[in-house]
Amino acid sequence: MSIEFGELRLSRALPAPPARVYAAFSDVAEKDAWFGDEGEQIREHTLEFRVGGEEHLSGVMPDGRPYRFDACVYDLIDGQRIVYGYDLHVSGRRISVSLATIELAETDAGTELTWSESGAFLDGLDAPEWRVMGTNGLLDRLGGAVAAHAPVE
Amino acid sequence: MNTTFGSFTVERTVPAAPARVFAAFADDSEKQAWFQGPPGFVSKAPRTFDFRIGGEEFNAVGLPDGPAHVFRARYYDIVPNERIVYTYEMYDGDTRSSVSLATIELGADADGTRLVITESGVFFGDPAEAESRREGTEFLADAIVTHFAGAVASAH
Repeated sequence: MSIEFGELRLSRALPAPPARVYAAFSDVAEKDAWFGDEGEQIREHTLEFRVGGEEHLSGVMPDGRPYRFDACVYDLIDGQRIVYGYDLHVSGRRISVSLATIELAETDAGTELTWSESGAFLDGLDAPEWRVMGTNGLLDRLGGAVAAHAPVE
Repeated sequence: MNTTFGSFTVERTVPAAPARVFAAFADDSEKQAWFQGPPGFVSKAPRTFDFRIGGEEFNAVGLPDGPAHVFRARYYDIVPNERIVYTYEMYDGDTRSSVSLATIELGADADGTRLVITESGVFFGDPAEAESRREGTEFLADAIVTHFAGAVASAH
């Protein structure tokens, strides 16, 4: 029985305006396009994008293990900020509990996104460095997803 | 929009066994004995307490003629007598001032229980809120120690 505490803060310049990036979080179909690892199979994804609303995603990781992501939205500022808490289960065991804050700021080139998380990683089943890796992967995919929708100038 | 982040750890030795300390968090009436605002605070709204994974806790306290200080928690992980993982929001009146991830770890030691509370929060508005969270948690940790120290004293 153990808890390892960890925090991360990652920033990305994204080639789309904040409203576009925000929609990639608020719309379940748009979020499906990037939220998850390459090769993962999403089986079910529901999202009530409002304060107090919940998000549930379950699927199978590339190595075959089933996982589940269950989140609760705590704070929203349209186009600017998203705060949610979530836990992750793998093979039926809770591996971590996290608090995530996404901040969006408009720039000349689009959006500066800052992703801050703190996590309680449980029983050696999850680890802060894996979360950094995973979140960087998500940001890569998010960047690709919003670039694909960027208006042609 | 002003967003800041802060984290801290508060540790205490509590003069009671881990199972007793756990009950002080898990049992509604036991928790009410120590989980209170500063002197003079009164309840501003009906409280709720649902200590189970996925359950929520709510209370609102404040000075009789002052704003409500609201606490709303959601329990994510509970291992009896060992740990509790939860998030909580604080509000000043209707305004959300922070959201925190908190863990409570209990370990047996020679004097009773080693209590370790770790929190990491996001703060909206006044950056001083991060420090006031720490002060609030220190205050509550002291209240737990006093609660059990009193029980030890009255048993003798």
